[in-house]
Amino acid sequence: MSSKEPKTRKKAPLDLSVKKQPKDRVVPTFCGMCGPNIGCGINAIVRDGRFVGVEPLKESPVSKGRLCSVAYSAPHWVYSPNRLKYPLKRVGARGEGKFERITWDEAITLIADKLKEQKAKFGPESLAILGPARRNYHAYFNRFLGVHGSPNYGTSGICAMQRAFGFTHTLGGYPGPDVAHSNLIVIWAKNPVYAGTSKSNLRDILDAKDRGAKVIAIKPTLEPDAAFADVWVPVRPGTDAALALAYIHVIIKEKLYDQDFVDKWTYGFDQLAKHVGPLTPEWGERMTGVPASQIVEVARLFGTTKRVCFDVGNGLEHATSSSDAIRAIAIIIAITGNLDRAGGNVFALGRGAGGLGPKPITLRKNFAKQQMVDKLVAPAFPREFQPNAETTTSAYYGIIESVLTGKPYPVRTIIAPGTQPTVSNRGPKRVLEALKKVDFFVVLDVMETAEMNYADVVVPVATMYESDYPFEFQGGWLMARRRVIDPLGDYKSDYEFWIDLAVKMGYAEDFWGGSIEACMNDQLDPLGITLSKLRQHPLGLRISPAGGAKPPTYENYAKVFATPSPGLSGEPLLPQGKVALYSTTLEKYGYHALPQWVEPPESITGTPKLVAKYPLVLSDFHTSKSYMAGWLRNIPTLREVLPYPTVQIHPQAARERGLRDGDWVRVESPHGSLKVKAEIYPGVRPDTVMMLHGWWQGCQELGLPAYPLCDGGANVQNLYSSDIKKATDPVVWAMASQTLVQVTKIEEQGSAS
Amino acid sequence: MSKQYGFLVNIGRCVQCEACVAACKTTHNLELGMKWRRVITYWHGEFPAVVNRTFTLSCQHCARPACVDVCPSSALSKRAKDGVVVLDRDACTNCKICGDACPYGAIQFAKDDSLQKCDFCSSRLARGQAPSCVVTCPTNALQFGTTEELAKISGAQQVEGELGPALFIIPPTRAWDLRAFRSALARAKEPSVPQALTVIL
Repeated sequence: MSSKEPKTRKKAPLDLSVKKQPKDRVVPTFCGMCGPNIGCGINAIVRDGRFVGVEPLKESPVSKGRLCSVAYSAPHWVYSPNRLKYPLKRVGARGEGKFERITWDEAITLIADKLKEQKAKFGPESLAILGPARRNYHAYFNRFLGVHGSPNYGTSGICAMQRAFGFTHTLGGYPGPDVAHSNLIVIWAKNPVYAGTSKSNLRDILDAKDRGAKVIAIKPTLEPDAAFADVWVPVRPGTDAALALAYIHVIIKEKLYDQDFVDKWTYGFDQLAKHVGPLTPEWGERMTGVPASQIVEVARLFGTTKRVCFDVGNGLEHATSSSDAIRAIAIIIAITGNLDRAGGNVFALGRGAGGLGPKPITLRKNFAKQQMVDKLVAPAFPREFQPNAETTTSAYYGIIESVLTGKPYPVRTIIAPGTQPTVSNRGPKRVLEALKKVDFFVVLDVMETAEMNYADVVVPVATMYESDYPFEFQGGWLMARRRVIDPLGDYKSDYEFWIDLAVKMGYAEDFWGGSIEACMNDQLDPLGITLSKLRQHPLGLRISPAGGAKPPTYENYAKVFATPSPGLSGEPLLPQGKVALYSTTLEKYGYHALPQWVEPPESITGTPKLVAKYPLVLSDFHTSKSYMAGWLRNIPTLREVLPYPTVQIHPQAARERGLRDGDWVRVESPHGSLKVKAEIYPGVRPDTVMMLHGWWQGCQELGLPAYPLCDGGANVQNLYSSDIKKATDPVVWAMASQTLVQVTKIEEQGSAS
Repeated sequence: MSKQYGFLVNIGRCVQCEACVAACKTTHNLELGMKWRRVITYWHGEFPAVVNRTFTLSCQHCARPACVDVCPSSALSKRAKDGVVVLDRDACTNCKICGDACPYGAIQFAKDDSLQKCDFCSSRLARGQAPSCVVTCPTNALQFGTTEELAKISGAQQVEGELGPALFIIPPTRAWDLRAFRSALARAKEPSVPQALTVIL
């Protein structure tokens, strides 16, 4: 690129802040790097037919003209040498990586033929489709599953759904933090800095801080949000439930709760008070490693500050006491008088677009049937609570196990769209066994994946820069996606894949006759516009409900507490019409009525005998300044920021092991071992080490190799227990990402950096 | 000199995200390893009373730039109209003396030995646009303006230095912060590779 640019330029109507050359084409659209989901607005720059750069789109109310570091790497991602460009059919053995090129239509036909055959022989439930964290293409394959007749939407049990379950069964809804009006913002098991930097509530939190609000960050490491927090609570990984219960103990013992709210709107306070009686701050200190004095201090802040909000993340969902932690936090919100009040945690009911939005396409009616619930291979939530939202859900890992155990029946086809089962779930050794054994395995992705060599058919799909679909709607803002460049090979978007497959299966009637435009228009119908009309507004449209947006309302208790369960029973989530401090619903189905503390499968307090050999607690996070879960390590501009897999270790723990920053080390747990670099990190608990999840991929441009998926590699999942009895939450399917490890220096690798 | 452009970093809002680095690299199409702008983190205290801060650093476009002083071929100069330290690539002999002279590590050399430094997004400025690092900053921690404008921002302090760096910070409120910031800045030239620097006080 020349550094010399023309000095005078004609102002084009859409030219906002784009460094472009005279012949450049500027395409306003959405970033697709951490989605596909609601994206930040970008201006994509195209030069001589090539996508060359990205600049922020000022008009986007989502990102407000800002972008994170990952957004800028889009052209490197689109043109990566690791892109999948042509559909592939396996010709070698599973895992060997021998494929032959086929056409898109051939791929669709192969898959459809197999699904038809299996549906006839084994029933439609023999198909499972794996979902990673919720993405916008899920609705399309959810619809496909429902029409096909399979309940097995395999959620990975790491994101949002477990939180929704715990919150709704305690509070009737899942209230979000009202950061803008809060005086104390509690960031718990979440990283607002790396989780969508330019579209998250990060700015709101910093603005609140500037006006004097205090911030508490609860997490094992001093991540950037903990660095700017007023109080950091360095909790031992996986012990959030114990911490929350100890907070409740203090709040009740010192009578810091909102007596009026408790009397009027909660059920089971006496049982709760009795339950937390023995769960003292000293007990909390033993379980969580947080000093009892700080537990008391923070609980008092919760109980005495007016307007406290809790911003919780999916760190809570990676634990055996996941649902208990979430319920306990919901209880804190309620009894401290911060539920649905300004500056606390507020229900969606009282605010937003007044229910205005696109038409959902999942077709819930296909899932809300007893036979679908009965057929679930591994219910992600107990059957009594299914469908738990729009669809029924099976546990991602449970689907894998069914292939190996045949119980209750073996899943015959696994489709993995935009998810990597060995990297995003526990037990990669078991996963690889299952992928060798399963009858049919289909991978759908834009990029080579960790386990694509096991696939029978690999289907490339378009990046979000190569597709005109779908549109995006958030906060009353509606905008059409526009393709920046044409696809680089024989492929279409994820959305079109499901429509094409449905048509080939004979499901055209339920799939808009095979027309993606008709599909878009169907969804846009409630908003009173068609896609072609929307395209006439390249910067999007503001859509507001008739009569304009209404001011927020608070204390919508009577309404929200009467919300029915999404399950078949349709019974109220809260039978007493009050906050379920004591849940008679959970009790009725054989679960604990009060939140419990459940130890991780391996821990300092739960398995003390292991500590001599494995003295350090290990856990991981999945966001960073450069990567999205198990992706993007192959992008050189991102990889140069975080080039090596590391284990963050406290300086004292490093000294005891003779480690210097950058030394290669072996990290060994009872379940496997890894080889990574030591990162001396002053902001981690001395009894804990932390890794970043998702390491497997190499980076050609930087000469960095791919790492093995299991022992000797850097995939943190290899270290965790996948024992369903020990490593899974007793109510919902959430798997622990905590274990015990030893870290030792690898001498011969000292010069390998 | 009619005016002097400078940068301001609100340290309490800098969250280590490196968006400024990425935007800079994209705008100037920098090769791997080159960073005209870097993110520097420094630590204070010991667990559990440990904390870190971050700031972002590019060329400071100093009032008395050492790089300009030592340049034997007059390839580096201070632009009269806005105080930006600019490079005349045709005049540069790649002698690298400037790299040693700059105390901030702001001058780097690419694989072909060519001098690399921040030009304050001159082509964007010419079009009335802000530097790309400033535009992208998700938290508005990084701002730019004339030194007169920056001095008026509430809480802003110009960073002291022999060379007169056109750099302002809004230090966080804790007493140790400014001292720690100065110490980190003084070591900004370590390491030779322009990666994030960690200063443990």
